[in-house]
Amino acid sequence: MIKISKLYKNYGKEKIVKNISLSIKKGSVFGFLGPNGAGKTTTIKMLVGLSSPSSGKITINNKDPKDQITRERIGFMPEDPYFYDHLTGSELLKFCGDLFNIENDEEYHSYILENVGLFNARNKMINTYSKGMKQRLGIAQSLVNDPDYIFLDEPLDGLDPIGRAEIKKIILKLKKQKKTIFFNSHILADVNEICDEIGIIDKGDLIYSGSIRKFRGKKTLEEKFVEVVSANNL
Amino acid sequence: MKNIVTIARNTFRETIRDRILYVILAFAVLFILSTIFFGSISLGEDIKVIKDFGLAGIYLFSLIITVFLGGSLIYKEIEKRTLYILLSKPVSSLEVVVGKFLGLFVSIFLTIVIMTAIYLVVVAAKGGGFDSVSLLAILMQLFEVGVFISLMILFSTFATPLASTIYAVLILYIGHSLNLIVKYVNKNPSSFRPVVVAIYYILPNLEKFNLRNLVVHDVRVSGLSILYAFFYAILYSSILLILATWSLKKQDL
Repeated sequence: MIKISKLYKNYGKEKIVKNISLSIKKGSVFGFLGPNGAGKTTTIKMLVGLSSPSSGKITINNKDPKDQITRERIGFMPEDPYFYDHLTGSELLKFCGDLFNIENDEEYHSYILENVGLFNARNKMINTYSKGMKQRLGIAQSLVNDPDYIFLDEPLDGLDPIGRAEIKKIILKLKKQKKTIFFNSHILADVNEICDEIGIIDKGDLIYSGSIRKFRGKKTLEEKFVEVVSANNL
Repeated sequence: MKNIVTIARNTFRETIRDRILYVILAFAVLFILSTIFFGSISLGEDIKVIKDFGLAGIYLFSLIITVFLGGSLIYKEIEKRTLYILLSKPVSSLEVVVGKFLGLFVSIFLTIVIMTAIYLVVVAAKGGGFDSVSLLAILMQLFEVGVFISLMILFSTFATPLASTIYAVLILYIGHSLNLIVKYVNKNPSSFRPVVVAIYYILPNLEKFNLRNLVVHDVRVSGLSILYAFFYAILYSSILLILATWSLKKQDL
């Protein structure tokens, strides 16, 4: 379970994240939505231990995200991921795998690369990859340790419809494997298909958290999202 | 330790796949070979000139390679956010810094070995025999390169590659002039003396690693001074790498 309580993040005097409290059940897919600059990336960086909260607490499986044990069990794909250009796709997976306290299994790496559709490009240098391929490689590297908790920052951003469909397929496959997935997005149509629950953040405030169905009622997710965010800005 | 080796291996691979390394190395080889010409235009001092220019060339080019490869080592990781990939895994900032240091150090060590091999062949071909004494001077240069890499890594945690290079080269220059500056202040006492003495103890005294002139002029070098320089390099580099780790940790990514 991921538990966030009374989370704040300030940069100087500016409050980026304000009093966020959330619980995300194990094995669920949670979509964290919000307009650009709402505080989604700041929150996910605190969740994976890259950044420290100004106040408040985060626990993943009852442990701090910065704990060695927690980090062994999480996978993270940053927004618009950038990798070492001098490596090939399979070299990157080997490198990432070596950073965990696990046996580096080439067969498992091939399995991941096949799943994200990069097996045929595995020996190509990363600097020759397209944006969509890099997004998929971002997901692949987040899976090298077969994590229980997967954090994806804007995994669908900037992709063409085919790329988006492929990434959605990967997320749904991970969902079937009972992985807990937390992902940031502002592409609402896709969130509707993938997520069990959502959280909506605007200007650092969590303005909704719960089931999608309950949130949107009879409206589409997009209509309701615009309505709620607009009301928050009045 | 496993993570340090993994990061070092990746850094090593990154540096040896960088074309700039080979361009600079090619210039270094040309320079060392050109010492044959400089030697031939000297008046019967061929070997001394070849040694003088050759050792200076190895030193200079190893520093140039360090500047080009080291200046952006951590900065690039922060800017391109590859650090996110590392630090979201069970990897500490110290492991990143030490791994980066070792990877770059091994790359530069290998380039120095190549330059040294060519230098030794040139000296032997000109009748100087196997110049084993110069190896001591090169070993000391290697210690200095270690300190210089640590400096570059420290600066690259908070400054752009250009700024890192300027800071590191300034410290390099001052570090080689410290003895002279202190001597001057001791001879001409002024109110600045305490400041100069403080700088003398804070900045690295890089002249401790300079054996080139002694080697060229066949002056005996004590083993103790080499041992002292070795421990000085280890201590100074460790302090710089600890500072680099602290600086990296302090950054809110």
